[in-house]
Amino acid sequence: MKRLIMNRFVTGLFCMLMTLPVIAQEDELKDLPGYVDFGDLSVTYGEPKITINLGGTMLNFVGMMSSAESPETSELISKLKGIRVQIYNTDDNADAARSQFSKTKSNLKSSGWEPVVQINEDDEQVLVYMKMDGGNMEGMTVMVVGDDEAVFVNIIGQLNPAELGRVMESFDVDVDLDLD
Amino acid sequence: MNEYDEKWEDRINALLDGELSAADADLLKAEASDDRELARAIVEAYQLQQVMDTVNVERAPDSLRKRLRAIPAEQQPKPAFRLFQPRWAAALAAIPLVIIAVSLMQPDKPSESEIAQARQDMAIAFAYLDKAGMMTGREIESTVGQTMANAVTGSVNRAIQSQNLTSKEKEV
Repeated sequence: MKRLIMNRFVTGLFCMLMTLPVIAQEDELKDLPGYVDFGDLSVTYGEPKITINLGGTMLNFVGMMSSAESPETSELISKLKGIRVQIYNTDDNADAARSQFSKTKSNLKSSGWEPVVQINEDDEQVLVYMKMDGGNMEGMTVMVVGDDEAVFVNIIGQLNPAELGRVMESFDVDVDLDLD
Repeated sequence: MNEYDEKWEDRINALLDGELSAADADLLKAEASDDRELARAIVEAYQLQQVMDTVNVERAPDSLRKRLRAIPAEQQPKPAFRLFQPRWAAALAAIPLVIIAVSLMQPDKPSESEIAQARQDMAIAFAYLDKAGMMTGREIESTVGQTMANAVTGSVNRAIQSQNLTSKEKEV
């Protein structure tokens, strides 16, 4: 076995190089328990008007950059493993979005997600689900489907909603949303 | 060599050499099923062993072996420089591969503009979470009144009030 150890430095690199492309292609978020598949509504609505996919690597960098100016923000980000957002313009034709909403809701239920908030209005549906593992949050999903737009948000990792406001203040980023 | 290599090397080597007891082997495999780094270390060690096993050492012809043995020990030239031994030559040749491998294994550091964009994206995502929270609060408020709404969504509402968001749709 000493032979193996002595030469590992030399020849192990070949094996490592062979496996690198495979590792690079792994989609880290899809393997996480907090990941939610929102399907693809682009056939109906075209490309989402907003698509956000932030993985652990980028979040780590953002957290590191935030550590000096706001340790609190850095602490919050360090608990996140991924952030995904898809927002479609539904243009008064939300049937496909509502269908996807129901399908995703069914999948969440069967996957052990727990409903937190559910609003069923004629013109708008809101759903908030959380995935817990014991006392730890593994993910949060927010889906909002209205006449004008369909919003699908998936937070992977731990997040305390009460800390959102403080974090956004520390970001000092203008976000223009229609909150009506 | 990462921490897993150092921690598990003896057990992995024993596993590959068949020197691990069945119980210990099962335990290691069970641990590997929950630990991707450990599993990868085992796979790499196994692949390495496979590669090494394919390296055949050709036996010199008997005539050559006899002639070599006939050379008195004092006449055998000493290696001028031990660095040129095949093992070290291979190691030297591997240095560029080390550099390439290490550089490829390192996550690319995003530029400042990419990080700024990521912060913007996070802010948008969080704003939509707050938006959902506010809609929830409004729904509860319209259903059971202001007191209950504040009790349930107070933290979210406070966060929203502090953000002072403008009312124009964000286009990316």
